[in-house]
Amino acid sequence: MTATAATTATAAATKAATATAAAATKDPVLKVNNISVSFEGFLALSDVQVDVQRNTIHFFIGPNGAGKTTLLDIICGKTRPSAGTVTYFPQGREMIRLTDLKEYRIVNVGVGRKFQMPSIFINLTVWDNMILSLKGHKGVWDSIFFRPSAAERADIEQMLERFDLLEQRDTIAGALAHGQKQRLEIAMQLVQKPELIMLDEPAAGMGKQETFQLGEVLREICGECTVIVVEHDMEFVKQIADVVTVFHEGKVLMEGSISEVLADETVQAVYLGRGGER
Amino acid sequence: MPIRKVSSKATSKVTGTAAAAAAAADATTGATTGKKSLLQRLAKSAGSPVVFAIIVIGLGVLPLLYSSGAIDSTAMIIFSGKCIALAILAIGIDLIWGYTGMLSLGQGLFFALGGYCMAMHLKMVATGGNITEFMHTGGLSELPIIWRPFLTFPATLVLIIVVPAVVGGLVGFFIFRNRVKGVFFSIISQALTWAAFSLFMATSPWTNGNTGITEIKSVFGSIRGDANLDHLYMLFYVSLGVLVLVFILATLLTRTKFGKLLIAIRDGENRTYFSGYSVSRYKNTIYVISAVLAGIGGALFVNFNGSISPSVMTISYSIMMVVWVAIGGRGTIIGAVIGTLLINFGEYTIASGSMIQAWQFIVGGIFVVVILFFKGGIVGIFTSQLPAAWRWLQARLGGRGQGKGADQGAGGQLAASQAGSSADAEVG
Repeated sequence: MTATAATTATAAATKAATATAAAATKDPVLKVNNISVSFEGFLALSDVQVDVQRNTIHFFIGPNGAGKTTLLDIICGKTRPSAGTVTYFPQGREMIRLTDLKEYRIVNVGVGRKFQMPSIFINLTVWDNMILSLKGHKGVWDSIFFRPSAAERADIEQMLERFDLLEQRDTIAGALAHGQKQRLEIAMQLVQKPELIMLDEPAAGMGKQETFQLGEVLREICGECTVIVVEHDMEFVKQIADVVTVFHEGKVLMEGSISEVLADETVQAVYLGRGGER
Repeated sequence: MPIRKVSSKATSKVTGTAAAAAAAADATTGATTGKKSLLQRLAKSAGSPVVFAIIVIGLGVLPLLYSSGAIDSTAMIIFSGKCIALAILAIGIDLIWGYTGMLSLGQGLFFALGGYCMAMHLKMVATGGNITEFMHTGGLSELPIIWRPFLTFPATLVLIIVVPAVVGGLVGFFIFRNRVKGVFFSIISQALTWAAFSLFMATSPWTNGNTGITEIKSVFGSIRGDANLDHLYMLFYVSLGVLVLVFILATLLTRTKFGKLLIAIRDGENRTYFSGYSVSRYKNTIYVISAVLAGIGGALFVNFNGSISPSVMTISYSIMMVVWVAIGGRGTIIGAVIGTLLINFGEYTIASGSMIQAWQFIVGGIFVVVILFFKGGIVGIFTSQLPAAWRWLQARLGGRGQGKGADQGAGGQLAASQAGSSADAEVG
């Protein structure tokens, strides 16, 4: 016990080491168990097994068509698997089998999802977008008489501040720039107070500086929840990844820290060698 | 969704540049834009109540005009009463189509349900609770069970709301639970209306089939002739009162979080699911609300019309209702009212004699033009297209030096509004 404490203490010095420490504690928030999906005979995922540890930033990388987005679709209930289950371990609550739930229930138990294309409500203001995303109050009756509490308003303001959108609070979301839309959608997920958030190519369409800032924000968030990211931008992966899972042709090719993954010859052959490092 | 994905890169670029241009314009015009947006905001929040108040006053003075001799027959007042009833129905269509993006082509069904409830009661009043002639002819010897609740007025009032609500709720439950949407929803809603039409035709001992329920007076008694003028006025003002109430409630509803969610469902159903909402339950709720409004409209309509027949359940009639809303401007409650009044009064004044045939083409033509060029309908012309044109004009007339930035701004805003409406088109 003291030995592990000591190792953690020394390891905490470097970022990469924190990752190993987190992994070492083995406190999974999500377990993907032998998931397979076939679309009319085409096996998009076959027998995928991934554990995601609590409060880590976990990247899914791989060439196009490797099944990363499909796996996110399965976790959030958009697609049903042909076989296998996804189990979710919310803090201090019973384990939940996500593959049994409808998508809106999955959101309400604390799993958020940001889509590849910014998907926000284009005809509502930034503020209203955030209001609709608040945790709770999802019933029809509730929505008619809903007034945000002071705490909820403060929450939204703080979140907008964090994503540098406070000035745009009364702007119609459809008029935002692409990067702002991306940030708004992430902010919408976070105000939901998820325990697990999945981001599908969050840095797409962002500049280098903006991407870096996003990385810093995700690092902060990571203290409150677990982050799964699908991304091609290897700089971004290097910046913040705790754990990286490499997918290839619907299977898990390997899993490890970013340095392990970069050093792996197979990964270089199927992904990085093909211009993955951009 | 797949359409969006394919064109995603391109559209994002377009909106991106549009927003950038708009931002640039903001920077150049500085303080003036702040002023303008305040004015615009004021116009936005006060515009529709003011217009509605003018409409209500305009309708409200009709009886006075008749009393003073400016109108020479009560037909105009009776017709206006029918328009009021139809406007209530149109508000329902606007909520489900303009706000939520579900094109229901079967509102005639709920209009008929409310209308028949009222007509059955009025028929019972006319016969003194005895069975009607058509029941005799149909071989019935006593009043059928389905007619019994309509012997009393309070029960009738309840049923006018409950029957459309239950039918809408049940139909909606199965449609939305199975996530039927888009054009499939439209087709199902239309097919159901057609089925109901056939059902009413086939059960003539109970419904008097093709002829429908005729020879009835209003709830206040006969409204025909000068002797019954106070009945007519009473009915007219009660209907107007109901319209005002419905307008206010619908407007308030659209300003709640529920109203925002309707727009959210229209623009991004997927995102709404993934924000934790049971979209189908919301859709079902708004479907029931629109059904109830159609039912109330039908019930009022029967009072003015003095009869109801299955013809209100024809497909063309339900489509016509949608056309009113489209022309007036969907997505704004006032638009539904304006469109309904304008098209119906147009028909009333223009479509006589040889113009009856031509009128269909005129309405059809207006509809096509609106869909192609004025997605926001009449309201949209005033709230977005005219201001955009004005800004463009101002920029052209303004000094050449600063003109360029402002011009870009107007273009940007125009592009932004078009981007918005194109997303709209995907839903519609």
